[in-house]
Amino acid sequence: MTSIAQPAPGRPRRLDAFAVASEPGNERLAITRVAAILSSAGLSAGRLERLKTAVAEATMNAIEHGNGNHAEIPVDVEVIARGDEITVAISDQGGGPEAEPEADAEQPDLAKKLDGLQSPRGWGLFLIRNMVDAMEVTTDGQRHTVWLTMRTTAPEGAEHDEQV
Amino acid sequence: MTSRCEATTRTMPGAAVIELSGEVDGTAADVLTAAYQDAVSGTDLGVVVLDFASVVYINSTGIALIVSILARARAERRKVVASGLSAHYREIFDITRLSDFIELFPDLDHAVSQLTGPAA
Repeated sequence: MTSIAQPAPGRPRRLDAFAVASEPGNERLAITRVAAILSSAGLSAGRLERLKTAVAEATMNAIEHGNGNHAEIPVDVEVIARGDEITVAISDQGGGPEAEPEADAEQPDLAKKLDGLQSPRGWGLFLIRNMVDAMEVTTDGQRHTVWLTMRTTAPEGAEHDEQV
Repeated sequence: MTSRCEATTRTMPGAAVIELSGEVDGTAADVLTAAYQDAVSGTDLGVVVLDFASVVYINSTGIALIVSILARARAERRKVVASGLSAHYREIFDITRLSDFIELFPDLDHAVSQLTGPAA
């Protein structure tokens, strides 16, 4: 009898780990470094652009909402490869009991925003969810981490994948 | 490594054009608001063209600024169109539904020729 083994998912490999100070605008430092380390990781240009947008938004949230724009509190960024998946983990210190669960965030509705029924803001989490293949959030009582995962092979039906 | 948002405004027959460059993020609020005001003040122009050809970065706060400009233009019964967006930012305009309210053109020349029509 023969059997065909499924490919092993592979051990996770940490490609990079760094921190940025919690100052507005520093999400640009994070995406520049993530883009550099992933330049030859196998993501198409279009999927790398999507991941960069998600990393920017998650880092902005960590700076502003997680760490309260306190520059001395770092936002930690880790880039991990496992099999055909790239994961970027973005951690802040806003994981306490007062943290607002992401699931409670109001879904942005452009028509309502244009009619003044919603704030023009509130797009960050919406963009993150729409940019990556998977998003998870973990907290340990203090540390709050957003895990952004993108496969190097595009899922079936992915649109705009090779566009930049 | 960052480049702040800058805006240049000009008028064309029937349209006000705002050419943006740099990064459209929270720091762009004053620039964008002033550019819109400058572009439409004292005119009855019915169309505002936002040209993004030289924009390198738009984040969620920048999207909110564009929403605010769109809301103001609609209140003033002006149409907003956009040109020069990269494929990535066109996708973001699609998923946020901005492209339902803002017609997209590949570049400023296409927008202007479409808006002003063929030469007489």
